[in-house]
Amino acid sequence: MMDVVDQLGALRAGALSRRKFTKGLLAAGVAMTAMPLTGRRAIAAEGDQATYFTWGGYDIPELFGPYIAKNGVPPNFATFGGSEEALTKMRGGFVVDVSHPCNQAMPRWVQSGLFQPIDTSRLSNWGDVIPELVDLPGNDAGDGKVWMSPFDWGQTSVTYRTDLFELEGEESWDMLWDARYAGRLGSLASGADAWWCGAIKAGVDFADIDSEGAFEKIAAVMREQRPLIRTYTDDTTTLEQALSAGEMVASMTWNSSAVLLQSEGIPVKFARPKEGALTWVCGPMIHKDAPNLDRAYEVIDSLLSVEAGHFMINDWGYGHSNAKAFDAFDAETLAGLGLSKNPLDVLNAGHFQHPQTQEWETRMNETFEQIKAGF
Amino acid sequence: MAETSLSKSRSGQAAARASGSRLTRLLNRSETLRGYLLMAPTLLIMGIGIVVPFLILLMISLWTRQGFGFDTTLTLVNYARAWSEPIYGALLARSFWISGVATVATVALCYPMAYYVAFHVHRNKMMWLILMTLPFWTSYLLRVFAWKVILGYEGVINSGLSAAGLIEQPLAFLLYSPTAVIITLAHAWAAFAILPLYVSLEKIDKSLLEAATDLGDGPVARFFRITLPLSMPGIIAASFLIFIPTTGDYITPALLGGPDGTMIGNLIQIQFGAVNNWPMGATLSIVLMLWIAALALVFLLITRKMQERIA
Amino acid sequence: MSTGSYIKRPNRALQVYAVLFLVVLYVPVLFIPLFSFNDAVHVRFPLQGFTMRWYSELWSRQALWNSLWNSVRVGLVVAVISTILGVLTARSITRYRLKGKGALVGFIMMPLVIPGIIFGVALLVLLSRMGVPLSLWTVGLGHLIICLPFAVATLLPRFEGFDPSIEEASADLGENGWWTFWRVTFPMALPGIVASLLLSFTISFDEFIMAFFLTGTDPTLPMYIWGQLRFPKEFPSVLAMASLILFVSFVLVFIAQWVGRMGLESQEKEGLQS
Repeated sequence: MMDVVDQLGALRAGALSRRKFTKGLLAAGVAMTAMPLTGRRAIAAEGDQATYFTWGGYDIPELFGPYIAKNGVPPNFATFGGSEEALTKMRGGFVVDVSHPCNQAMPRWVQSGLFQPIDTSRLSNWGDVIPELVDLPGNDAGDGKVWMSPFDWGQTSVTYRTDLFELEGEESWDMLWDARYAGRLGSLASGADAWWCGAIKAGVDFADIDSEGAFEKIAAVMREQRPLIRTYTDDTTTLEQALSAGEMVASMTWNSSAVLLQSEGIPVKFARPKEGALTWVCGPMIHKDAPNLDRAYEVIDSLLSVEAGHFMINDWGYGHSNAKAFDAFDAETLAGLGLSKNPLDVLNAGHFQHPQTQEWETRMNETFEQIKAGF
Repeated sequence: MAETSLSKSRSGQAAARASGSRLTRLLNRSETLRGYLLMAPTLLIMGIGIVVPFLILLMISLWTRQGFGFDTTLTLVNYARAWSEPIYGALLARSFWISGVATVATVALCYPMAYYVAFHVHRNKMMWLILMTLPFWTSYLLRVFAWKVILGYEGVINSGLSAAGLIEQPLAFLLYSPTAVIITLAHAWAAFAILPLYVSLEKIDKSLLEAATDLGDGPVARFFRITLPLSMPGIIAASFLIFIPTTGDYITPALLGGPDGTMIGNLIQIQFGAVNNWPMGATLSIVLMLWIAALALVFLLITRKMQERIA
Repeated sequence: MSTGSYIKRPNRALQVYAVLFLVVLYVPVLFIPLFSFNDAVHVRFPLQGFTMRWYSELWSRQALWNSLWNSVRVGLVVAVISTILGVLTARSITRYRLKGKGALVGFIMMPLVIPGIIFGVALLVLLSRMGVPLSLWTVGLGHLIICLPFAVATLLPRFEGFDPSIEEASADLGENGWWTFWRVTFPMALPGIVASLLLSFTISFDEFIMAFFLTGTDPTLPMYIWGQLRFPKEFPSVLAMASLILFVSFVLVFIAQWVGRMGLESQEKEGLQS
C-alpha cells in the first residue's frame, strides 16, 4: 500500500508544480477581492435575518413583500425535499428560525420538543386567517397560542398531458398505475405524499392506515407501481420538465406544477381523481431556540399577508390561509384551480391526511425506501 | 532509547545547556519522543477526526432507534438485518458492480491518454497535464448535472440521433439507469485515473525499452513485458482512487440513477434522513468499509501475484 | 530517465485518440458556460438565444456570493492548517526514527481509502452526541480530516528527498533549530508547501459529501449549488458563477505557464539551476 501512497504523493507533487501555485492563490485572491463590499454587506445582513427552512420552491422573495419592505432583504432560506428529512436534520442540530411542516407531521414535530408556540397576538394578519384551518389536531398550544400557523393548503394529485395520455373513463389514481405508459410515469419521492396516494389507490381508509393490513395492501400497490415509474424525485422541476418534454405522460404532483406548466402553454390538467385527491394544510412553526425571534414573526406575518396569498393562488394554484386573499378572485377562477373560499370544501372532498405516530412514520418511510429500491 | 548521531547529540547538548530543563534534556535524548511531539497536533486531529467518530459509529451501530432517541442496549440486530435482508446485500453488490465497471472503464480509457502524454509528447507535458485536469476545477455537482442534460430525453444525444434520423423515439435507457451512473462516474473521476497512470508511465526507464528493442522485441511484446508491468503501481493507485470513493457516492445515483440505479450510499444517506434510523446507517457504513477493505486486499493480492508471474 | 535517444514514431491512432479523449472530456464541462448564456431558466435544448443577463444578475445574488465566500473562507483555513500540520508530520516522519512509523502513516492516510460518506456520517454522529451545533466550523473540521492525508502525501516526498546533512551543517555552525528551519528547510520545502496549500484548498472548495452532512445554516458553494440543482430558482446564475471560476482558472494557468517559462529562461541565462 505504501508504494501506492507514494504514487499519490508523487503525482500530487509532480502535477502541481510552482506554476499552479500562482494560479491557485490568484484565484483565491481574485475571489476575495472581487467582492469585498458585497461580501461584507451580505454577511452583515445575513447575521441578522431570520432563516426560513422550507420546501424547495418556496424560497422566493414574492412571499416576503412585507418582510423586505421592513428589512430591505428577504430572509435567509434553507430548503428540504421532505418534512421527514427536515425534522431529522433539525434533530441532528440544525437550528433555524422558522420551518414549514404540514398538518400530518405537526403533532410529531411538537412532540420532538424542538419548537415554541406561536403567540398569535404578535401577528398582524392573524385576524384574517381562516379559523377552520387553525383548528387542526394537535395545534392547540394553550393560552390561545398555536404550534403551527396555517399558511398554504392544497392537493396532491395527478398532473397529466391531455394530448399524450388517453383517458379510459374518468380521471383516477389508476392513471399512475397504467401499464400502457410504463416508464413514462413519475412520482414524488417522499412517502409523506406517495404512500398516502397509494393508500387512496388501494382503497384504504385513512383512519385505518396504521393497521397491519393497510401496510400490506399499500406496499403491494406501491410495488406494483414501481416498474412503471421513470423516476422518483422530490424535485418538482424534474417532473415538470419531464412532462413538458413528453418524457413523462403523467405524474404525481402538487397544484403548482400543473399551474406552472399551463402558464407555459403545455397541455396538462390537474386531475380530479374519482377516488379523491390527497389534501393537506401546511404552515410555519418557530424553533424553540430561534436566534432571531422578532424577525421570525415577521417571516410568518409576511407569509400570511394578502400579497403572499395573491401570489400563492394566482401563480401556483395553492390555497392560502388569509381569507382576504381570496377576494381578488371570482368563484369561477377558484373553481378552475380546484380551490374555494371555504377550504374545508376542498379539503374534506379529498382525503385529508391524519397525523400518525413516529413509529408508523419511520416504518412507512423504511418500507417505502425499500420498495423504491426494488425490494 | 534510540541512538543519536554525533552531530545531533552535540546540538542537543548545546540546547540542553541553553535551557537546562529536564524535559528538554529528555526530549533531546529521545528522538522518538521528539518525533511524536512534532506529530502531536496532527495525531490529535486525526484521533478526534477518525478514531473517536468511528468508535462512536461502532457504538451506535450496536444500538437501536427508539422514538426520538436511542435504545442503548447493545445488540447485533442491525448487523443481522444487514446480513439477512436481501436489499442490503443486493445494493452493496450493485454498488460494487457499478463502481467496478466505472473503474475498469476509466482506467482502460485513460491509459492510452496517459501513455500518449508520457511517451509521445515531448514538449509542454505540463500543459497537457493541466489541460487534462482543468475540467475538474468545476463543481462535481455541475458536471453530473451536465451529464443529465446530455443523456436526457431531450438532451444532446437524443436530439442529435433523432435529428440525424437514426431513432424515432428518444432512448429512454440513457437516463435514470445504472448505465447513466456508470458513464457519469467514469467521466467525473477521469482525472484521478490520468494522473497516477501518467506518473508511473513517465517513470519508466526508457533505456529498458531501448534494450528490449535492441534485443528484438516488437512493440506489442515491449508493451506487455515492460511497460504494462512497470506501470502497475499507477494502475493500482488509479483503481483505488476511483473505486473507493465511488462506491459511497449517492449524488450521482440520486440525480441520474432512477429507481434501478440506487446505490448503497443512497441507502446510508436515507437512514440519516427520512428513514431516521441512525443505528442502521452506522451499521451499513461499517459493513461497507469492511467490504471495501476485503475487496482491496483481494485486489492487491491478485496484482501482486500477477507482478510476480511477470517478473 | 533518458528521453533523448528513445523517440517513438508518431502513432496516428494514438493522436486521434488523444484528441477525441480531450473532446469527450471537455464537452460536458463546456455545457456550463454554454447554458450560462442561454436565455431560459430551464437547462435544456433547444437553446433559446444569447443573453448576458445571468452574469449581470450574478452581482445581485447575495446568497450565491455568501456561499462562495463561505467556501473560500473554509478552504483557506483548512488549507493553511492542514499544510502546517502536514509539514510537522512530514518532518517528524522523515527526520526522526519513530517506532511504528508504517502504521502511523497508514493511519493518517486512512481517509484516502474510506468513502467520504462514511466520514460525514461518523462526524455527524460524533458532533450530535457532543451537542455541537452544525456550522462552517464543523464543515471545516470535516474537510481538515480529508485534506490532511493529501497534505502529508504531497509533503512527504519533498521532505524525504531533502538531504539532512545540510541541516546538520547549519546546526554545527551554531544556528538554533528555528533559524535552521526557516532559512534552510523551509525554502527547500516551499514547492511542496505551496502544492499542499493549493491541493487542500481545491479539495475543500469543491467538497460536497461532508458538507452535506455537516453544514449548518451557512451553506458552502457546493451545498448552495445542490439546493439550486434540486429547486432551481437562480440556477443559471450558478452556471454563470461556475463559468467565471472556470474561465479565471484557465487564464491563470496560462499566465502562470508563461511566467514560469520566463522565469526559467531568465534563470537559465544566469546559469542557475532551478
